[in-house]
Amino acid sequence: MFERRLYYHIDWALLAAVLVLCALGVAMIFSTTADPTRGASHLYITQLYAIVIGLGAMVVMLTIDYRAFADKSHLIYIALLAALVYVLFLGSTQMGARRWIAIGSFNLQPSEFAKVGVALVLAKFFGENRSMPVWTDLAIGAALTGLPLALIAREPDLGTAVTLLPVFLAVAYLAGMQLRILGILCVCGLLAAPIAWTFALKDYQKSRISTFLDPKKDAKGAGYQQIQARITVGSGGLTGKGFKQGTQGQLRFLPVAHNDFIFSVLAEEQGFAGVLVTLGLYLFVILRSLEAARLAKDRLGSYLVLGVLASFTFQVLYNITMSAGLAPVKGLTLPLMSYGGSSMIATLAGFGLVLNVRMRRFTN
Amino acid sequence: MAHEDRRRADGRLSNLQFVIAGAFSILAISFWVLQVVQHAKFKELAENNHQRTLALRAPRGMVFDRDGHVMVENRHSYSISIVREQTKDLNRTVVLLASLINVEEASVREIVDRHRSEPIFRPIVIVQDASLAQVAGVLAHRFEMPDVVVEEVPTRRYPDNLAAHLFGYVGEASDVQVARDDELKSGDIVGKAGIEQIYNNLLMGEDGTKTVVVNSIGREIPDRPGTDKVDPVEGKRLQLTIDADIQRAVEESFNAFGYKGAAVILEPNTGEVLAFTSLPAYDPNAFAAGIDRATWNALQSDTFLPLNDRAIQGRYSPGSTFKMAVATAALEEGVITPDFKVYCPGHANFFGRSFKCWKAGGHGTMDLEHAIEQSCNVYFYTIGNMVGIDAIHKWATLLGLGEKTGIDLPNEVQGLVPSPEWKRENTKTHEKWYAGETISVSIGQGAVALTPVSMAVYISTIANGGTRVTPHLLKAIDEGRGWKPVPAPAPHSQVSLKPGTVAAIHQGLWMVVNSAGTGGRSRIEGHDVSGKTGTAQVISLEGGRSAAGKTTKDLRDHGWFVFFAPRDHPQIAGVIFAEHAEHGANAAPIAKQAMETFFAKKEGRPLPVPIKPQAPPTPPREELRVAEGPASPANTNSASLVNLKPITP
Repeated sequence: MFERRLYYHIDWALLAAVLVLCALGVAMIFSTTADPTRGASHLYITQLYAIVIGLGAMVVMLTIDYRAFADKSHLIYIALLAALVYVLFLGSTQMGARRWIAIGSFNLQPSEFAKVGVALVLAKFFGENRSMPVWTDLAIGAALTGLPLALIAREPDLGTAVTLLPVFLAVAYLAGMQLRILGILCVCGLLAAPIAWTFALKDYQKSRISTFLDPKKDAKGAGYQQIQARITVGSGGLTGKGFKQGTQGQLRFLPVAHNDFIFSVLAEEQGFAGVLVTLGLYLFVILRSLEAARLAKDRLGSYLVLGVLASFTFQVLYNITMSAGLAPVKGLTLPLMSYGGSSMIATLAGFGLVLNVRMRRFTN
Repeated sequence: MAHEDRRRADGRLSNLQFVIAGAFSILAISFWVLQVVQHAKFKELAENNHQRTLALRAPRGMVFDRDGHVMVENRHSYSISIVREQTKDLNRTVVLLASLINVEEASVREIVDRHRSEPIFRPIVIVQDASLAQVAGVLAHRFEMPDVVVEEVPTRRYPDNLAAHLFGYVGEASDVQVARDDELKSGDIVGKAGIEQIYNNLLMGEDGTKTVVVNSIGREIPDRPGTDKVDPVEGKRLQLTIDADIQRAVEESFNAFGYKGAAVILEPNTGEVLAFTSLPAYDPNAFAAGIDRATWNALQSDTFLPLNDRAIQGRYSPGSTFKMAVATAALEEGVITPDFKVYCPGHANFFGRSFKCWKAGGHGTMDLEHAIEQSCNVYFYTIGNMVGIDAIHKWATLLGLGEKTGIDLPNEVQGLVPSPEWKRENTKTHEKWYAGETISVSIGQGAVALTPVSMAVYISTIANGGTRVTPHLLKAIDEGRGWKPVPAPAPHSQVSLKPGTVAAIHQGLWMVVNSAGTGGRSRIEGHDVSGKTGTAQVISLEGGRSAAGKTTKDLRDHGWFVFFAPRDHPQIAGVIFAEHAEHGANAAPIAKQAMETFFAKKEGRPLPVPIKPQAPPTPPREELRVAEGPASPANTNSASLVNLKPITP
């Protein structure tokens, strides 16, 4: 299955950039979770394990032709829905949400894998269509996205659920969906917002959004994080306070610094210089992947790459904006850097598919 | 892929490229503005951004007696804590602090280690109830130790030092409690015994918080965003059914005689507890600000077991106070009538063995009333034998014995009224009941073992004519909007006794006090006090002889006195249990003092003069110097010695 010559077509530059980002993440996790009064914590070790497992997943995703995956995408999709339904009823509960399947001491978060699964099924669906997508195609694509999205939102995990939307929009866009339709969808979304506000959002979600509009109103609760994020980033300056020297992250002004706010800590400790380097790495990863979409041998490959990339890009942009206190605080992690095993494994597996498509651009 | 298709896709991919590159550029510019242009402003904010949240401990609710007299209150004390969030060098802080408060460095370190896993913003209390010298020392050096804080905390105070076991004591919540109860956090003060424990949820207030912003040297910066204060909410105030004057009269009388023991005094129609004591007691104030190890160890190893609540956890042989239960059984089962007569020659034979009466020459011919008055053992051997163990067990239980009373205090133990089933289930070889054991039980010996609180319920049931009340302590709650009475718990059960039964027993008990009986020392003119003494053997006579000189243990008998007054419409009832008082008659003066206090208050007279400290009075020899050795096989049951000791909860 794996022909030797394919090895030479692996995009080593993309892989290297991905690994550098992972390493930066581990360093930041180490920095924020090491407690001056308690010594080092083991979280960064856990993250290293996740990276190793993720690389394993990446190799698997590389080895098998992506067209084989696409052929089985309906099965993968059904398995995914089953896992999400399982989580909803039997998953383990942490901090008021059912998001995890406990496997031994390890907690698996199926919603992270939904991004890859939905990318696969949408790529397959739109890839088989020869013509421009018509209304019915869009409706079916929306339904394929909407089902897992609703299940994840019910957990509740609105942040992760929303990352599925860009997958659909990006694939549909590339498949030739008319911009007019995109515009209509956006208008519908805006009209639906007040309804969602009244019925669908939980109180804590509402408070996060209203706090964003006026952070000082709730300077101790949700607004606190936003103000603190801005202070954290701003106090970093041009060159930063130095590794493990950040006062904001170290003194726990920022909650979950190793998770949602890891980029704030990076900005504090490594300064604007570190921010530029990291932003550059992410931009490189994204543009390089877009190139893979352009080079892809077939529509399927190109859609697949874009589908995987869409949720990744959305999450990167949103998280970094939030890290600077410029967007409402939402439980969205920074892919490749934030602490979190499921996210790491799913993201690396996704890049496995990206590499896969690029690598096989000459094969038949 | 169609050529046209491909071109369109390429175009759209290019669009995406531009959009994404644009977004990243905007992000980079935003960070540049925040980190470079506005750096100075945020740098200052970060430096002054040392928010510190301190818990403001809520005072626990005050506790009042039935007249509104304060029984438990709060005083101010100071605690000294380390907040690691502000720590630069923990080692240096520990060394400096230890020298300033004059405490061993190792013990400070040990406290810090114990709380290591808690969030670093939570203060670790190093000294509770710090002395002024310690507080002054720390405050003088506060700029060198920005991580050490002095907090004012409300601390429990028991001003009268009365009824220690009733109130219990408070202490830091244990790790287990914290894990089990979401409302609790480490360091919370919770009730550990007594009222403090059982009504902890009412008494505990809601802690407040004070969030201040301090700069890097620990100085508070007022009026910064983030400064905030949530006032603590005091716990609810409780009013108890206890009457502090009666409580004091009882405890002072015990102390005047130098007795240990227990007393429970009730309003016999409702079950309201007027006085409740167990002696020796501990000083609950010693626990209020964290008890030190030495005091705790001393309390734990004290041979007199001051931590045990004898009133609800001690089980003792009731002796002659049990005779009313036997009389009730015989009368209610119709085996005898009150004028049933027995001739007492000083002993009687049952099942081939001789059982003695306490009066060597015998009482002569006795009816029930006189048998109660004189506490004639032969009479009760006879009727006990006639009615049988099952009926005795049944009626004793109906009167409130051998079961938990349900008093609102933690860890009440159950007494024991033996029955054939009990013996079958609690002996290894499933032994059957011997008829001879019934004879012993008939005078409250054998395996019978009862808690003082159940004896108080028992005498109340006899006093009120059949209602087995539930003793209770909580009378009203004040949640900040005035007193709201708490409805009394329903009586445990009710049994209708024949009027003749009640009248005969009441008459006998009245004669005990007011005629030729042993309770004369509780007589109060005009109040028709009725009662019964009882003496519980600590060791059989024979055992006592063989143990003489070989043990330092106090082997003198325990004295009981159960009472109520007045005879016809009882208003007060209760039990006095005096350890090693040798005879129940010696417990009677304590009951008298309590009743005199009760009636004096009721009639607006001055309270009686406290009993002067004195040597215990010598008792009239009577009543119990009887069933011993082979005459009471049940006494060889291991229960007889063991159950005289208070039982550890």
